[in-house]
Amino acid sequence: MAEYRLDCFGEACPVPLLKAQKKLADLKVGDLLIVEVDHSCAIKNVPEWARKEGHNVEIEEIGDGEWEIYIQKTK
Amino acid sequence: MLITERKAKAMEKKTLDYDVAIIGGGAAGLTAGIYCGRARLKTILFEKSLVGGLATYTDEIENYPGFADPQKGIELMRKFEAQAKRFGVEFKLTDVKGVRLLEDGWKLVETFRVNYRVKAVIIATGGKPRLTGAKNEENFLYDKGISFCATCDAAYYTGKEVLVVGSGDAAIEEGLFLTKFARKVKVSVIHDEGILDANKVAQEQAFANPKMEFIWNTMVEEYQGEERLERVILRHTKTGELIPVEVDGAFLFIGYLPDTGLFEGLIALNEQGYIITNERMETNVEGIYAAGDVREKYLRQVATAVGDGAIAAVAAEHYITGSDYLQNQLLAGEKPKLIYVWEPASQCCRELLPVIEELDGKYKEKLDIEKVDVYKSQFLINKLCGQMPEALPAVISVVNGEVKEVACTGLTGEKLHRLALELLNR
Repeated sequence: MAEYRLDCFGEACPVPLLKAQKKLADLKVGDLLIVEVDHSCAIKNVPEWARKEGHNVEIEEIGDGEWEIYIQKTK
Repeated sequence: MLITERKAKAMEKKTLDYDVAIIGGGAAGLTAGIYCGRARLKTILFEKSLVGGLATYTDEIENYPGFADPQKGIELMRKFEAQAKRFGVEFKLTDVKGVRLLEDGWKLVETFRVNYRVKAVIIATGGKPRLTGAKNEENFLYDKGISFCATCDAAYYTGKEVLVVGSGDAAIEEGLFLTKFARKVKVSVIHDEGILDANKVAQEQAFANPKMEFIWNTMVEEYQGEERLERVILRHTKTGELIPVEVDGAFLFIGYLPDTGLFEGLIALNEQGYIITNERMETNVEGIYAAGDVREKYLRQVATAVGDGAIAAVAAEHYITGSDYLQNQLLAGEKPKLIYVWEPASQCCRELLPVIEELDGKYKEKLDIEKVDVYKSQFLINKLCGQMPEALPAVISVVNGEVKEVACTGLTGEKLHRLALELLNR
């Protein structure tokens, strides 16, 4: 169960989603990917995509307008 | 919390207790949160993406009362969120995996890492965008060219050409917003030339906007492109002619479907999947409420979602306090109970009050006397009697936590004394 961080601060859609898709493909099942974002649109499309793929997702608001998206790869 | 601690905790699934779980953080859910929080209920709200719901997909909201100037959807929803937080509502940004009924009347709300045991659930999950169902649609979802959110993706299409599908308020208003960025906004409309479903103000602005171009009598047939969307093939609804439209992106605004897949088999849904409620936002399952767009209703707006949320929260509060009072007071204890059901506004109900007081004084040691006001406690009376007594006042006799008798006709002071004696002599 390794853990990886993806810094997407300052990046607008669709960049965080594309980066997350690319990064998650390299991870192993059970690994955790933490995507750091500060554009609200990324809170909509990144979790939606990851859940659609069947992964476990949780978001934490770490500051005003800053979030960490936790994606646990399940397959 | 350290990430390592987090991970360790993720391994074991724990259970937390709350009074109310609100599923969905849009206008309805947030309003329910404000009311629950203010009623001092321990409340948790689940949102699987951005707090604010569908309103955050809207650039400007012009018809929410209290704000004379147009508000950014996202800004307005931030105010809702701040208000809910001020009243102590806890937010959990994750998706709910399931809701189950527990034997003791509690409900279990399951998430990826934690289960929540709650007394009441308010479902405010809203809707999800409807798709066209045209060929190759799924290949271009998730930032490959098909979008449902102009405020999210408009900047990306600066100087490019986009297609809007639909002609309702969202399609035309968001299409207008897109003209601030895109070079050209083409709109595929299913109706005859000149007919849009949108409000008149939006229609006038759209027809006057040189960047907007309408393609009448069309529906999407197919999406085409290599990596990203490059072309949408429209079909003329009358001639069947195929019309290829070269675009950089397509925005679908053809309505929403209720997000209720999770609740199938748990509560009653209508044929379209919307949750059926009464005017108190009660579903067919006690202690589960629905509010906002997810509910079968006439008008889906922020203004109506807010009303639903307030009602659902107050109904949930009454249910929780009522259930607690029922278990811990009305049906608790070893002494038999005589419950006087009355209506303060009724003369004959008031007349017998002194008799009730007298009985209370006389049999204090062996008999509990309770008063239930129908105006405040319909829920309790329904629980005790199954329905509202035919006449008021009524008297309910309780022995060993069970209702033995409901008397509601011909009640006099004398009869009350007799009922009390019967209870004592059991």
